[in-house]
Amino acid sequence: VRCDDALVAVSVRADSEDLDDAAALDAHLASCAECRRFERAILDLRSQLRVEAVDRAPDLAPAVTARLARGDGPAPPRSGGGRRVAVAAAVAAVAGMVAGATFVGVGGRPRSPAAADIPEQVLAAQHDITSLDSRLTITEAVPGDRGGTRTFDAHLTYRAPESMVLAVQETTTGRSGAERAAGELVVDGDRWWQETARQCSPAAGRVQCPDEPLTWSRSVTGREPFSDSAPVPLELVSPVDSFMLAAAPPGAGERTIAGRRAVGVTVTAAQVAPVLDGLQAAVELGPVHPADPVELWLDAQHLVPVAFDVRAADDPARARWAAAVGGVDRPGAVVLRVEADEIRINGPEPAGSDAFALPAGPAAATTDAGFHPTPDGDRALSVVPVPGTVPGGLRAYRSGTVTTPGGPAVGVRSWNDGRAWLTVRATAEWAGGRLFGDLGPDVRPIDLGGGGTGYAAGDGRRIGLHTDAVDVVVAGSVPLDELRTVAAGLGLRGRPVPAGWAEAATAGLDDAAVVVPGLLTARGAEGFAVDPAVRVDGDTVTEVRAGPGDRTLALTQRTAPALPPPSSGDETGVEVRGVAGRYSAERGELEWVEGGIAVSLRSPTIGLGELVAIADDLEPA
Amino acid sequence: VTREQRVHETDPALIREAVSGDLRAVEQIVRAHQQEVWRFLRRLLGDDGTAEDVAQETFLRMYRRLPTFAFQAKFSTWVFQIARNAAVDELRARERRARAIRSVPPAPAATGGEGPTRVELDAALASLPVDLREALLLIEVLGLRYAEAATVLTVPAGTVKSRVFAARVRLAAWARAGEADGPDAEGDVPTVQGPEP
Repeated sequence: VRCDDALVAVSVRADSEDLDDAAALDAHLASCAECRRFERAILDLRSQLRVEAVDRAPDLAPAVTARLARGDGPAPPRSGGGRRVAVAAAVAAVAGMVAGATFVGVGGRPRSPAAADIPEQVLAAQHDITSLDSRLTITEAVPGDRGGTRTFDAHLTYRAPESMVLAVQETTTGRSGAERAAGELVVDGDRWWQETARQCSPAAGRVQCPDEPLTWSRSVTGREPFSDSAPVPLELVSPVDSFMLAAAPPGAGERTIAGRRAVGVTVTAAQVAPVLDGLQAAVELGPVHPADPVELWLDAQHLVPVAFDVRAADDPARARWAAAVGGVDRPGAVVLRVEADEIRINGPEPAGSDAFALPAGPAAATTDAGFHPTPDGDRALSVVPVPGTVPGGLRAYRSGTVTTPGGPAVGVRSWNDGRAWLTVRATAEWAGGRLFGDLGPDVRPIDLGGGGTGYAAGDGRRIGLHTDAVDVVVAGSVPLDELRTVAAGLGLRGRPVPAGWAEAATAGLDDAAVVVPGLLTARGAEGFAVDPAVRVDGDTVTEVRAGPGDRTLALTQRTAPALPPPSSGDETGVEVRGVAGRYSAERGELEWVEGGIAVSLRSPTIGLGELVAIADDLEPA
Repeated sequence: VTREQRVHETDPALIREAVSGDLRAVEQIVRAHQQEVWRFLRRLLGDDGTAEDVAQETFLRMYRRLPTFAFQAKFSTWVFQIARNAAVDELRARERRARAIRSVPPAPAATGGEGPTRVELDAALASLPVDLREALLLIEVLGLRYAEAATVLTVPAGTVKSRVFAARVRLAAWARAGEADGPDAEGDVPTVQGPEP
């Protein structure tokens, strides 16, 4: 056997295809280190390609059947990414089914004065957090006949801006050491390390998962400042994403937790999905329904989450969901409870210890994410414009360049103040087709004054600028107004995106009202972005408004005398705005005809009661 | 969530119901195949959003062509073929838009908790020519046999074999480059190029 032939044979054998002479290959491998390395490389690559979260795939069935039902109309809003693991996975399992009547978070209950300005307080308090050390007890209900609970001890250590250790150890009584789950996440600036229980997704046919995929450790270097693609659950420190666009939540009173005064609010699981997801960086917890009510307790001074209860919403639709995903289904039952036993905020660091040292020893996968600190004169970094002003208190933090094989060279500058952060990323090599910076499908143009035109992501967390020379994205944990000031002060003049780009269908409400005369808008919906992302696809107008956490709202309208035929078969009649409409729990969609317009109001994370209330408040655009 | 992880051969009766316009049957078929289709497209196209768009397009095309399904090939293979063709159309459209032949920029991956491992791998995959990438993904991600992948790609099985090999040689070289200073570095990866019929 020649070496060239042997390499091909190694590849063929890895695919379980028949070999002419397997014995000859074995004999050759015994004496060929290069061939053995190639075989190992194939297997490493295979594990990277096959082992991934199985729940990331979106459920396409509702969108496909809806498009078929209305004669292949425009694509409905995407179901959103998989970042919100705990809640999004639950939704995907049952096709966006939502609970019907239960709704919390908007109206209906008195708000205590202390709770009313919680969203603003959370955003402000993130600037003042420099360190956190807390020990938490997690109690999770075990669904089904066995019942009972699982318990975990968690230890969270944080040092601003992005160093963190989250270690979780199961303590359930009656389970042996080997049966108890454990996981750990360590992040320190540009490096992180994680050991978690991992799922393997078996593909069709003969693809097999590793024999014992119990834990999976990996180590990453070259992490970008405040990268979204690394699991750094800053929401456990300060729930900024969960409250960024939130309405004043109903209060749940005050009490003392771990010796500190805490303020309670009642929200939905969808809203605080980023907090729930934070825990999942170290331990796999069961599914939570997006409409489940959550009582969240925040430290009164620093607004750090110190306890929360997730309860099963009381609704028939939720029971069906629970049956589908194997979740807890008794209405009112506590699904998940987390409470701090000890907590220290902004305490002195213990001398001589390095709490954020990455564990030694080999990890299953070590990768370089491509970020490298570079001096100011560096070419790729020099394309990143320096803002004229940054929000008060923010100071320069890490900067450098990101290179990935086949990708554009990207320069990054960042700033922080406590847990609050800001980044400006830019590249001169953007291939186009859509805006640089992963703003998502729903964007809206914003006027940057002398800075020209920018595009804000629907959730207000990023602003993208396209110019002839450079493509830039400004992101951060600060409010959109502050991002806008930064974007306007970059010394660039943003241009509208070229006609072929994905964002070119973006329009203003005024333009959209020409396409659909009598257009309605959800301008008055409390707890959602004031300015929507509006898209015109042919004769159809879609208005998307982001809310806090996973809450989002899509309003689609088209001039038509009647609704398309029902597509999922689970539709029920509902009175909405004084006319007879219909609701599909499976699609989370409320539809009716009004003034010659077929209207659809849709959300995968909002229940029927709240949708009807939002529909009632629609007004002419 | 485990029920839909494997692709089962679709019941011919269900296909006939779908052909007759029963959207509930279409829904069942989509649910049975969407996870595999999405995973394949996600790796092939490099970002979540485009993968979702093209996956939707795949199932719309599938519905339109259902009357032509002859029950001769495996249904799943037929669906993968539609997905692959839809992805190729998307890549061509993207190339026209970009007016430049360069590899797909990796999405910065704001979605998904997968981390830089995924970003890096996406970038490496994106650097492969499409014909090598699609062959590798059919084998590795969908677990097809060479003969099945050959049906999807409408090339001989031997071509699948050599493309998969060539893709692996390039990715192995990429992986070695990334860990050149690693403790177990023993030398270079093979640099042999696979025969390309």
